Amino acid sequence: MFSKEKTIMEEDRVRFICKRTVVSTRSVEPGRLYHFSVLDHVMEPNQIRLVYYYKTSKTREPGEITKKLRESLAYTLNCYPIITGRLVKETDGKEEKEDVILRWKVKSNDAGMRMVEARAAGSVEEWLRSVTREEELKLVHWEDMYHLHYYWSTFNVQVTEFESGGLAIGLSCSHLLADPVCAMMFMRAWADLTLSRSMMAPPLFHPLPPRRFANDGLISNNQLLSQYIKSCSLMVSPSNVAEDHMVTVTLLFPDPLVRAGENESAISTFEILAGLFWICVSRAKGKRNELMDMSLCLDVRKLLRLDQSYFGNCMVYHKVPYSKPVKTKDRLLLFHAVEEIQNITKRLDYDTVMDLIEWLSSNNGAISNGSDLVCTNLENMSHPRPMMFEEDLVLRHMSCYVKGPVAGGGQVIVLPSPSGKGPKSRVVMISLPQREMTKVVEDELLLSFSPVILMKNTK
Amino acid sequence: MSDLSSSVKLKYVKLGYQYLVNHFLTLLMIPIIATVGIELLRMGPQEILSVLSSLHFELLHILCSSFLIIFVSTVYFMSKPRTVYLVDYSCYKPPVTCRVPFSSFMEHSRLILKDNPKSVEFQMRILERSGLGEETCLPPAIHYIPPAPTMESARNEAQMVIFTAMEDLFKKTGLKPKDIDILIVNCSLFSPTPSLSAMIINKYKLRSNIKSFNLSGMGCSAGLISVDVARDLLQVHPNSNAVIISTEIITPNYYKGNERAMLLPNCLFRMGGAAVLLSNRRSDRWRAKYKLCHLVRTHQGADDKSYYCVMEEEDKEGNVGINLSKDLMTIAGEALKANITTIGPLVLPASEQLLFLSSLIGRKIFNPKWKPYIPDFKQAFEHFCIHAGGRAVIDELQKSLQLSGEHVEASRMTLHRFGNTSSSSLWYELSYIEAQGRMKRSDRVWQIAFGSGFKCNSAVWKCNRTIKTPTDGPWSDCIDRYPVFIPEVVKL
Repeated sequence: MFSKEKTIMEEDRVRFICKRTVVSTRSVEPGRLYHFSVLDHVMEPNQIRLVYYYKTSKTREPGEITKKLRESLAYTLNCYPIITGRLVKETDGKEEKEDVILRWKVKSNDAGMRMVEARAAGSVEEWLRSVTREEELKLVHWEDMYHLHYYWSTFNVQVTEFESGGLAIGLSCSHLLADPVCAMMFMRAWADLTLSRSMMAPPLFHPLPPRRFANDGLISNNQLLSQYIKSCSLMVSPSNVAEDHMVTVTLLFPDPLVRAGENESAISTFEILAGLFWICVSRAKGKRNELMDMSLCLDVRKLLRLDQSYFGNCMVYHKVPYSKPVKTKDRLLLFHAVEEIQNITKRLDYDTVMDLIEWLSSNNGAISNGSDLVCTNLENMSHPRPMMFEEDLVLRHMSCYVKGPVAGGGQVIVLPSPSGKGPKSRVVMISLPQREMTKVVEDELLLSFSPVILMKNTK
Repeated sequence: MSDLSSSVKLKYVKLGYQYLVNHFLTLLMIPIIATVGIELLRMGPQEILSVLSSLHFELLHILCSSFLIIFVSTVYFMSKPRTVYLVDYSCYKPPVTCRVPFSSFMEHSRLILKDNPKSVEFQMRILERSGLGEETCLPPAIHYIPPAPTMESARNEAQMVIFTAMEDLFKKTGLKPKDIDILIVNCSLFSPTPSLSAMIINKYKLRSNIKSFNLSGMGCSAGLISVDVARDLLQVHPNSNAVIISTEIITPNYYKGNERAMLLPNCLFRMGGAAVLLSNRRSDRWRAKYKLCHLVRTHQGADDKSYYCVMEEEDKEGNVGINLSKDLMTIAGEALKANITTIGPLVLPASEQLLFLSSLIGRKIFNPKWKPYIPDFKQAFEHFCIHAGGRAVIDELQKSLQLSGEHVEASRMTLHRFGNTSSSSLWYELSYIEAQGRMKRSDRVWQIAFGSGFKCNSAVWKCNRTIKTPTDGPWSDCIDRYPVFIPEVVKL
C-alpha cells in the first residue's frame, strides 16, 4: 500500500510531447523486398533498446535541437530503406509443395519510422545520478507489434530534451532487423550526417556470403552448432525469471586489466570482465562447486570477413563450458575462467560459424538462452572520432538493453566508456534478478576492481 | 486511302477557311492599297501636287482638323484601360522533410481511424486513383499521431509558406517592401484576427497607406478573384504595383471525423502557396513576364444545386469538414460552359466565332438536333492551366474542351508533384510550362479555376518576353523527371 502511494506521489520526470513519423527525403523505388538472413530469423522474438546521453554547454530554445535532429534523420533514412519499410510475411517460393513456410520479409514501401518527442525535468547530470532501469526505459519508445504488422514501425526513436540542458536519444528496434552493433552504427551515421552533412560509413545490405571453400564435412564437435540445435528445437527450458523482476546496475571499471594484474595484451578487457561476472553471479546464485551456465554473445563480422557497416544480425551465442576446479583462491579462479573464455573467443573460427549458418538455412526456430548468464561484447564499438550530433553536444553516457528469450536469466553487456576515462576503462550493464544483484554488488572479488556505480537499482 | 485523303482535304479546307476569315480585313485592304498605289504611280508627282493645291486648304481648316485629331486621340488614350503587367511570381516549395508518401498517409489513417476500416478503405481507393505522387507535402502539424491542428501551428504554417514565397519574390524582382502599394491575400479556410495581410504588413513593415485586402471563404478560384481586384485597383491608381498572395492553409482544416464524402479533401489537399507581383508602371513593360488580357468571372450561386455542392458543415459527431456532393463534375461542366460563353467572343478568332454563330443559328432555326459546335480553343491559346483540383476535373475539362495530353500536362504534373494546392495551383502549372522551356513571346495562356459557390473564373495572359530556361522555382530540382507517366491506379 505504501509503495503504491509513493508511486502516485512521484512526479513523472519525462513528459511526452508528441509522436510522429519521419520519412526519408527521397522517395524509394516501390516494390523492393528485403530478405532476412538466417541469423536474423533466429533472433526474431527479441528487442533492443539503446539510450545515448549528451550534455551541452550551449543554451538552446526548447525544441530547436529536436527539429534539427528530425530533419537530419529524414536525410539519414535515405540510406536505410530497410528501416522505412514494413514487415510482410511471404513464402520463400523455393519450398516443395507441402511445406509452405511463411517467412518475414521487409517490403520497402517508404512508410518511415516513428519518432517520439519528450521533455525531461532537470539536467542530464541530475538524471544520471538518480536514474533506475524503469526510468531509463521511459526515454526509449517501444510498441509491441500490432495485430496488423504492416502498419507497425520496426524502429522507434525518442528524443528527450532536458530542461536544464542536455539531450537523450533513445532507439528501440526489433532484433529481427538489427543487432546492437548495427543499431549503434545507425546512430553513428545519423550523428555524422547531422554534424558534417556526410555519412562516413553508409550501411551495407546484402545476404550473408556463402562458404568460400567447400568443406569435406561438418566439423566434429562443433559446440556452437549443437548448442543452437538444442535451443532451436526447444529443448532448453525457458527462463523462469519474469522480465519485470529484473533490475539493472551500471558500473564503470576504470582499468580492469591492471586490477587483474594482467599486463599482457593477449587478454582483452571483455574476457576479464566476463570471467569476473561469471564467478560473482555463480556465487550469488549459491553455486559453490561449479560455475553456472554462461553464453558469450560475440560479433562475428570480422570472422566472416564482413565490414563493420554490414547491416543485419551478425552475433552468435556460444556457451562456455567450465571443467576446472572452483574451490580455489579468487585470483586463480579468475585465471581459470578467463582461460575457458579464451578457449572460445580465440578459437571461434570461420568454419564453425559457417556450419551453423548452413544448418540454420534448413532449420527454423528461435534461439533462447534459458536461464544462462549472457555476456555481450560491445567493447569495440568505440571510435577514435567521437560521436557528436553538434559541436557542443558531448556524449556523456550510453546504455544498452536487450529483451527477449535471448537475454537468458541475466545479462552482462560490456560497452566502451565515454572518452576521458581512459582507453582501457569499460562500462558494464548488469541485469539480474533483485536478490542476486544485491549479492553481486557486494562481492569481494568485484569490489577489488574498484568499480564506480553509475546507475543503482534503487532510488 | 480515300478516308485519309478526304480527311487531309478537309484539314486544308479548314485551314484555308480559317486563314480567310481571320485575316479578312488584311485581305480586303491589300487590293485597295494596290489600286491606290498604282493610281499614284500612274499620276506622277506633278499631278499629285496639283490635286493637293486644288483642295484649297486654309489655315482654319488645318487647325481645326489637327485639333480634332489630337482631341480624339487624347480621349482614346485616356479611356484605354491601363495594361496590367505580371512582373514575376514565385511559388512556395515545401521542405522535403514534410513529404507524405502514400504508405505513410495510409498508415496514419489506419492508426487514427482504427474503428472505421471502411473509411480507411475509402481513403485508400481515393489515393490510388488520385493522380498524386509520392512527393506531395503536408504541414508539420498533420504529421503527428494523432494530428494536432492548433491555431498556433496554423499561424506557423501560414508564416512558413507566405514569408518564404514573399522573400523569393523580393529577390526575383528586386522589389522593396516599402514600395508595395496594394496587398491582396487570399486564403479560403483560415482567417485569423488580425488577418494574414496584417501579418505580412507587420513582418515586412509595409507602408501605413497601403491598400490591403484579405479574401477568405472564396474557394480555389480566389487566386483569380484577387487578380481581378488588383486589376480594378490598378485602373484607379496610376503608377502602382500590387502583390497577391494565394495560398491555402491546411493545418486547421484537417477533418477528424470519418464521414466519407468529407474525408476526400484530406486525401487531396496539400501545402502550397504563391506570391505574384502585378504592376501598371510603364517602366515594368520591358521586364514583365506576362500581360493581362482578359479576366472573366462567372458565378452560378443563384442556382441552388450549384450553391450546395461544396458545403462546409459539421458531421453527426460535430467534426467540421467540407462535404463534396456527388454531382460536382456536372456542376463544374455547367459553370465552365457559362464561362466559355462569355470568354469565347473575347478570345476566339473570327473563324471560330463565325462557325459557332452559324451552328447556334442553325440549331435555333433549322434543326435543334444538330450537334452544338464546340469552339476550338486550341486556336486561341498556346497553353492551358487548368486548376489541379483532382484527376476527375482535369479529365472532364480535357474531354469537354477537346484538349490533347500535352495541353493538360502542366495540370496533371502539378497534381502529381504538389497535389491540390487550391488557389496557388495555377501558378505552379505556369511555372511548369516555363521550366519546360515552352513559353515563348506572345504565347497566350488560359488559366481556369473552379471554386465553391459555384464559381468558374478564367484569366488570359499574353507572354511578354521569351522565358529562358533553366528557371529557378519549385520545379528546378525535379523537372528532368517530368513528364512522368501517371497510371490509372497505383497499387498500394
